[in-house]
Amino acid sequence: MSTDTTKPVVSPAARRSLKSSSGATSTPLSVTLGRYSAIILWAGFTILFGILRPDTFLSSVTWRLTFSEGVVTAIVALAFLVPLAAGVYDLSVGATMGTGLVLMNWFGLNHPGLPPWQVAIGVLAFCALIGFCSAVVIVKFRVQSLIATLGVSQVLLAFQLFMANNRQLTGAFESSWLDLGNGQVLGIPVVALYLLVLAVLMWFVLEHTPVGRRLFAVGSNPEAARLAGLNVERLTYGSLMTSAVIGGFAGIVFSMKVGTYNSSVGPGLLFPALAAVFFGASQFARRPNVWGTLIAYFALAFGVKGLQLTFGPGTFWIQPLFQGAALLIAVALASRVVGQTRRSRQLQREAAADDAQAAGEATPPPR
Amino acid sequence: MNALDIRGLSKTFSGHVVLHGVDLTVKVGEVHALVGQNGSGKSTLIKILAGYHSPDRGATATVLDQDLELGSASAADRLNVRFVHQDLGLVNDLSITENIMLGRTYPKIAGVKINWGKAKQIARDCLARTGPPINVDRTVGEFGIAERTRIAIARALPDNDDPALIVLDEPTAALPARDVEALFATIRNLAAAGNSVILVSHHLDEILSVSDSITVLRDGVKVACVATSEVDHDRLTTLIIGGSLVKNIERPRVATGETPATVQITGLEGTALLSFSADLHPGEIVGVAGLTGSGREEVAALTIGREPRSAGTVTINGDTVDAGSPIAAMAAGMAWICGERARFGVFSTMSVGTNLTISDLAPHTVVGRLDHRSERAETARWIDDLGIVASGPDAAMTTLSGGNQQKVLVARALRLEPAFLVLDDPTAGIDVGAREQVHGIITDHASASMSVLITSTDSDELARLCDRVLVMSRGRVVAELRRGVDLDAPSIDHAQVAGASA
Repeated sequence: MSTDTTKPVVSPAARRSLKSSSGATSTPLSVTLGRYSAIILWAGFTILFGILRPDTFLSSVTWRLTFSEGVVTAIVALAFLVPLAAGVYDLSVGATMGTGLVLMNWFGLNHPGLPPWQVAIGVLAFCALIGFCSAVVIVKFRVQSLIATLGVSQVLLAFQLFMANNRQLTGAFESSWLDLGNGQVLGIPVVALYLLVLAVLMWFVLEHTPVGRRLFAVGSNPEAARLAGLNVERLTYGSLMTSAVIGGFAGIVFSMKVGTYNSSVGPGLLFPALAAVFFGASQFARRPNVWGTLIAYFALAFGVKGLQLTFGPGTFWIQPLFQGAALLIAVALASRVVGQTRRSRQLQREAAADDAQAAGEATPPPR
Repeated sequence: MNALDIRGLSKTFSGHVVLHGVDLTVKVGEVHALVGQNGSGKSTLIKILAGYHSPDRGATATVLDQDLELGSASAADRLNVRFVHQDLGLVNDLSITENIMLGRTYPKIAGVKINWGKAKQIARDCLARTGPPINVDRTVGEFGIAERTRIAIARALPDNDDPALIVLDEPTAALPARDVEALFATIRNLAAAGNSVILVSHHLDEILSVSDSITVLRDGVKVACVATSEVDHDRLTTLIIGGSLVKNIERPRVATGETPATVQITGLEGTALLSFSADLHPGEIVGVAGLTGSGREEVAALTIGREPRSAGTVTINGDTVDAGSPIAAMAAGMAWICGERARFGVFSTMSVGTNLTISDLAPHTVVGRLDHRSERAETARWIDDLGIVASGPDAAMTTLSGGNQQKVLVARALRLEPAFLVLDDPTAGIDVGAREQVHGIITDHASASMSVLITSTDSDELARLCDRVLVMSRGRVVAELRRGVDLDAPSIDHAQVAGASA
């Protein structure tokens, strides 16, 4: 650019278009409602089935039962949430839960002398190793997380079938261990308290510590995170190991509650957990988050429970329908929001490109 | 009858005139070069011809005496005006036949099955018009860049033997020197077969050796249309840059030669970059200039460890920084702003504050817990200090304009108080006002203890900010311009253009 070039002037029109695309901060009502849709749904179900089935749906037994039944799946959902914050899909959470369960029961059956809490610690360590292996495949061999963890989950299933000898496996635990899973504190199922403690812990780490901040940064833009000085590899290792340990914890809680392993237990939990996380990610701050996940999960669980109570035992097909529909709608809504931001970004780019053109074609326009 | 005749072509972007009444005449069977600096309007002209932009009212164009509607891609295609862009647009996993048949209709047997024999014959015919035969069953990825360019040209040729006008947009920018001759042979073959060629290039010696005539654009105006035989190197350089070489020194700075260099970059080597060395003294701002393909693009990426380097070391205060590791570079006291903001810098789903503080959260961490309040306070200070237009620290990053996003990234780097700041094209794609502000921020915050390396395509920017500018060409530093001696924007332009042809 020679010095006699007159300074190009940005036209007011370009500025206006930039402002109009970036200045709109008022949130439409539909978006606000969408962010609280899980709570609204839960309240709606409570009112609807409260009117239809006041005697059964509103009883404390039903609520206690629904919460205590849902705890294990909800823990699996929280396991899925950790790597998802960093943009990594861990589809092996269900299988990890099954692995934790089969190990608990196998030791309970074959080594009744070992205290269950010692076995539980061993199980958590083993699950951490599973997460480490998944991370090696993803980080070192650069396999997509979706593929890697899908493969790992099948290997884990094989391990479970081998351990259980392709049969149901019930651990013969002392009653003190089962009490840990079936007791109540102030009328609240004790397992629900485990979930609550875990949720508070995870919420604190994800929202209020540097580690959580960095996980979300990696999830937002891994390349930018690396260039901002974050150790993306270590965060990936950490998130997958944490997710596997939480998955193993879900298996341990299940062993306290029911005790019986069969090969469909773990994989069966994956989908409901996933639906809860993605539905939950459309709530509140609109990114994967702990409370959104839990509220989404239990809103759906209570909906299913209400339908079953109202329409009787013939409605066994309700649950997958519900969860499938919830996942589809939640993700569709979320991508609509993403689409909006992408559109505004597109507008910005165009305005910037026009400016650049006016400034002497410093950059080629986007194609 | 001319292969292309454009009269009175103007183009205005948002009130700024990019092309002003440009005429362009390409004779049948000639190789016509189109030259000019970045921003001279030549790429806009090509884009209008390709139908990407529409011209302002009043322009006319004919191809072989037939009217061409400018701004229409299909009209240009119908009149056999074809384009080969720098990235070629080939699919490397497909065979030559499949690549050439992309965008063509496959011949079929009985209307169903592809007639591969015939398809290969079409591919062979197209290739034959550009040079010696190649086995069309091989995949494109097996070939080097020179052959790939030839395949892309073959694909652009019309099916029948009608003469075509082929536009080659910077075909040699990515080409190693030894392959350039092969490409020239292809171009000469094309012209000999009755086709016409428009060649857009920065490399003057290449233009002088292959073209028949040259049109020179400067600041959107056609300044010359000459036969290649009538000009030499110096004359062409003067035509491109124009005017007298006025010294332009806005910011005198004290010489820092007495203090020892704290940052030493030695023998940096990448793919297009063959060797880059620089010593930076504390308080010094050093610029790196160079045309596309000169290796300038890689200097910052290799210095900060964004890309792995083949050779070379970076030393800060005597400590060697590990190669290919941004974490190590940051620990050694470096900070940077990468080009391509959206790809390398911005966390689009996060707030302004989180984007700003992400590289160092320690000041806001109290016993493991993030103190959101002190984080917001610091963000608000930077918003104030750098004049970032945002509704507040919690505003979503995507609600900011490009220039303000860039200022957030500048703040992210500056708050690390680096000993060595690397700015990779810091004002690319942001508007003029923001550019001025970013320049102001850089000069204000460049302290006596900080060394700054700026790579830029904008000579004006380098001339304003830098104490020294290293000019790159063909992977090496070919010139060094010093403030107060010979540093100004035209000199940078001159060294770039002259270096590319040396």
